[in-house]
This record gives sequence, C-alpha cells and structure tokens, in this order.
Amino acid sequence: MPRASKRKSDPVRSSEPAPKRATAKEVERIDNFFASYANTSIGMIDPEGVEKLCSDLRVEHTDVRILMLAWKMNAKKQGYFTQDEWRTGLKSLHADTLKKLKKELPELEKEVAKQNNFEDFYCYSFRYCLTEDKQKSLDIESVCMLLDLVLGRQFPLQVDSFVEYLKIQKEYKVINMDQWTNFFRFCQEIEFPDLQNYDACQAWPLILDNFVDWLREKLTAA
Amino acid sequence: MLMDGNRTQDLRRMYTLFSRVNALESLRQALSSYIRKTGQGIVMDEEKDKDMVFSLLEFKVSLDKIWEDSFSKNDVFCNTIKEAFEHLINLRQNRPAELIAKFLDEKLRAGNKGTSEEELEGTLDKVLVLFRFIQGKDVFEAFYKKDLAKRLLLGKSASIDAEKSMISKLKTECGSQFTNKLEGMFKDIELSKEINESFKQSSQARTKLPSGIEMSVHVLTTGYWPTYPPMDVCLPHELNVYQDIFKEFYLSKYSGRRLMWQNSLGHCVLKAEFPKGKKELAVSLFQVGCVLCSCMVAILSMMFSSHSNHVNGQYVIQTVVLMLFNDAQKLSFQDIKDATSIEDKELRRTLQSLACGKIRVLQKIPKGREVDDNDSFMFNDGFTAPLYRIKVNAIQLKETVEENASTTERVFQDRQYQVDAAIVRIMKTRKVLSHTLLITELFQQLKFPIKPVDLKKRIESLIDREYLERDKSNPQIYNYLA
Repeated sequence: MPRASKRKSDPVRSSEPAPKRATAKEVERIDNFFASYANTSIGMIDPEGVEKLCSDLRVEHTDVRILMLAWKMNAKKQGYFTQDEWRTGLKSLHADTLKKLKKELPELEKEVAKQNNFEDFYCYSFRYCLTEDKQKSLDIESVCMLLDLVLGRQFPLQVDSFVEYLKIQKEYKVINMDQWTNFFRFCQEIEFPDLQNYDACQAWPLILDNFVDWLREKLTAA
Repeated sequence: MLMDGNRTQDLRRMYTLFSRVNALESLRQALSSYIRKTGQGIVMDEEKDKDMVFSLLEFKVSLDKIWEDSFSKNDVFCNTIKEAFEHLINLRQNRPAELIAKFLDEKLRAGNKGTSEEELEGTLDKVLVLFRFIQGKDVFEAFYKKDLAKRLLLGKSASIDAEKSMISKLKTECGSQFTNKLEGMFKDIELSKEINESFKQSSQARTKLPSGIEMSVHVLTTGYWPTYPPMDVCLPHELNVYQDIFKEFYLSKYSGRRLMWQNSLGHCVLKAEFPKGKKELAVSLFQVGCVLCSCMVAILSMMFSSHSNHVNGQYVIQTVVLMLFNDAQKLSFQDIKDATSIEDKELRRTLQSLACGKIRVLQKIPKGREVDDNDSFMFNDGFTAPLYRIKVNAIQLKETVEENASTTERVFQDRQYQVDAAIVRIMKTRKVLSHTLLITELFQQLKFPIKPVDLKKRIESLIDREYLERDKSNPQIYNYLA
C-alpha cells in the first residue's frame, strides 16, 4: 500500500561564515539577471533559457556544474528555475551578474565536493531527475548517465563497472532512491576492485549483491 | 551395494563387527550418503515423476526393515535415516509435495477395487511419514484441498470414512488451521443434502419448476473451498429459471447471504433419444449446451454448486453446449461460441469431449482431434453405445496443465504476502531491528522454505512502500515507519 511520501526537508548547507545579507542593489541586479533569461509568459527560466545561460557561461548544458547550480538553488523542476530559486542560489553565491556567476563556479564545485555536501548533492541529483509527479524510480539509461556525471570523477572504476552491469542485467528496469544512495555507500566503503569486505548477508540492496556476484565471476573467468 | 541387494545378514554382521571396534560412525555416514544418493536419484528424475511416491515409499520400507533387522533399531541410525530422507525429499522444490497430494487423491478416489480398508489405512500412514519430511507443506495443502473439492463435488470419494480418517491424520501433522477448512467442506456437503431435501419439498419447487428436470445444489462456503475462476456462460432458458427459483428459495431461508453462480465443475445427466436407442449421458454443464435437435433432451438431474456468503454456483458446461442443438441441426464453432459465451479454450475442450473422443454425441465437420475456428457440429444421428448410461465428461477429472501451474503460482503469491506480513509484524513490535536479526526472526516464523535473497526482495519492496526505512546513521538497521 503506498504511504504518504515524506519529502526531505531543505538540505543543510555546509558551515560557512554566515552569508552577508544581500543589499537591495544586489537583489535588483539578481532580478534583472533572472529577467534576461526568463520566459515571461510563465515567469520562470525554461529549458531554452537554461541553454542560453549555459552557452553564455561557456558551459555545456549537460555539464555537472549546471546540476550543482540547480542544487544550490534547490530547484524542484528539472530544466526550470523559478525566481525564488534563482534568488536563493545566487544570493548565497554572491553572484549578481553573469561574470560573477562564472567566477563562482569553481567555488561551487569545491563546496559540493565537501563530504557533508556531496552526499546531499548526490541524492538531490537523483530526485531532480524524477520529472513526473509521484515518480519514484529512474530508468536505467538515465541512471547510467547520471552516475557518470555525478560520480564519474570521484569513483571512475566503480561507476564504469556498475554502468556496464546495469546495461546487461535484466532483472531491474529502473533504479529507486534506495538503490541509488546505497551505491554511493558501496563506493565509499567497499574495497575495489577486490571486493574483499563485501558481505551479501548484510543489508545491501539485492542489486548490489547481484553486481558483486557478477564482478566476482568476471574476475575468476579472467 | 549391500543395501541395494538387501543383504540383511551381511549388514548385520557388518554392524556387529563395527560396533565392536567402535567404528559405527563411519558405517552411519556411509548409510547417510547411500540414502541421500539413492533418494536423489528417485526424486530428481523428472521422467519418473509418476512413480516417485511409490518408489519413495518402497525405499523407506526397505530402509526401515534393514534398520530393524541389521542395525538393531539403533536410535542414532534411526535419526540418520530421517535426516537423510528429509534432505533428499526437499532437493526438489514443490514437486514431491504435489505428487504426494496426487497419490493420495488416487487412493481416496472411488474405483480402487481390491484395496481393503486396512490396506488403505496402512498406505495413508506410510504416505504421511513421507509428508512429514516435506518443508513446503503449503504446496501440498493447496493441491490436497483442490483434489478433495473435486472428489466431494463429483461424488468420487471411495469412502467418507477414509476421507475423514485422512483429515484427522492431517490435523495432527498440519494443525487445525488447515483441517478446519477441509472439515468445513464436508459440512457444506452434508448441509447441501439437507437444503436439497427441503427445496424439493418447498412450495417454490413444486409449483414453479419446469417439469422433467431434477436439480440438486451444492452450497459451498467461500472460505473453505478452493477459489474457482469465474467462467461466463450464457445458459439456456430452463437453467436460468432453475437458478432463479432456487435462489429465491435459498435466500428466503438464509437472508443476508450472497449467491453467486459460477460455472466450472458440476455434472448433469441428460436423457437423450437417439434414433438407435435411448441413452443417459453424464455430461458437464457446458456439454449440455451443445447437444440435440430433433431428439429432445430432458434434463434428468443437474448438479449445481453454490457458495454461500459469496455463493458460487457451478454449472455444468457441457449441458449448455448440448442444449443449443435443441433448436438447430447444425451449428458452427462461432455460432456455439456466440450463443454460449463460453471462454474460447474451455469451449474447444468441451466440444472436443463431445465430438472427438470415444463417445461422440456430436459429429465434427471436418473430422479430427482438434477443434478449429471453421469447424461445424452436428448431432450424431448414428450414435450407439453398449451401455444405457454413458459418461461423456471424462475430461473434467483430469487436471489441466494450467490448473496445476496456477495452483502453484497461488501458493507462491500467498507466501509472498505471508513474508510481507511477517516483516511488518516483526518491525511493528521491535520498532528498530538489525538486518541479521530480522532475517533470523523471519526464518523462525515462516513455515515454508525460503531463500535469504527472497527475503531481501520483500524487505526492499517494503522500504519502497515506506513501511520501513534504513537507519540514516547505521545502514544495517531498519526503522519501522508508523
């Protein structure tokens, strides 16, 4: 029986010096910045606006930094930014112009990479891709792309293996949040590629048990 | 080798010798592996499924004899035999349980001439010994219940005493939860007899029923009997009249119950006038719909079954088909299908039973074993048979492959619900529990064999449905979500 879904509360941001209050001027500039990309008929920045922003920032719109920006804004709908979300994000980044935003991107990356932020970012990115109402799982193809985007730099071996496995296995057509979060834990805790400390009798999701079996078989076959 | 040859004397010498030099343990181990190996051969050979139960019984008997004669009824050896048997019979999931149920069905069914009551009792006891070793008893229960229902509804039991004796034996083995339902089935049959008597005497029956037709009804309480798939069929007018009159009568006696007529089991005896002689045909209700034209069929007696509380009626499918031919000489497959609304596969089976078997009440054009879309059917003018009363419904008693598969499917589905319920129950009580402890608890509570993999699947499903969650700080722990 489906239960009422518990929405996660706003993510806790890392400890930084308390952000200076944005001045009225800054807010005005942020709003103008918003307006230059927004679709006036819906009052939001739509996917077209986002693409334009990306090209102005000289960043691919599939770049992970755009995802990080969405995280910073706590954007709810994939491909769209509301004015509130925009204000939230840019205020905390202290970027009220295109030039400043571009400058802040490396800082944003560093911030996301911090331990307690990254996990939050990782979970956020999955949720961000659940575009339909009440959608709880993501199809395998999207998962593979997202994994590569979000974890590919930090855990390339694990991501490559897991993506390979996901594509050939037949049991799961979608991945849910539980499986998603546990893969991150897998990357952090399990020795790779020898997998010595993996114990299927523990509470790992079944898909990871199967993944490990497959890996072990590959190793012995090699 | 000695075992195979039943060389009890040699074995006895061996036993005595080994006990003198304190080497009984190795003898015991050899015995264990012998039993497991031989037993595995019996159980795993799919081609010999028909004989599995018989072979296992014989094997057990020979082992017991050797235990008595050669091994001095040694207690430890007795346990070894039991353990080995338990191991080998569970090597193959589900099939032994199903076959044991079938074996019992054959023994309890009428037609077992030459078996004395004593012999039957003895066989039942021996089969029960085997049954005790089975780990997935719910599979047995599902098949036993289904076969018992058929025996009771079709009146095929060899002896009610034997049936009841079996039930009390099963009560000791399986507990009363299972046997309560079986006992309920017997009660329904008894009650039905009474209901039929009073129906016959009732004013409704005497005044409103069309003449020339006799009816008896089985009223079944839904909870006790197996679930039968609903089968749609357009009944001939006379049968509908019957239905309504009986329903009126029944509901006047037992208000607050729901009567639902269902069409599967059931049989009917039709009095048919063929040019070459009068005959009585025992057919299924579906077959009735198909027969006759110029020779009118008076339906002598029909068996309907209905459940009370969710009352289900089971009509005789052949009857429906046969009665169509009251008004037509020749009918195409499509005609019959349209007129009766019987489901395609079932209709083909029914027509096969009427036109393609040994007893051909109908003729199929063109001839052949299979019923094709373009076939047509005609009343068989030239029908003869040596006996007066002929059974045409042989098909019914034989279980279809689909029936088998769906019974097993249902058992597995049921197990899944039980696992889910157990997990929720345990977590609700404990609130917080580690994965390993949860698994241990589940193995203790669940009465059927299950793999840890399957338990994990159910746990994950419940996480997905937000009954539980993994603890944020310790991923080995589950929290119950109220």
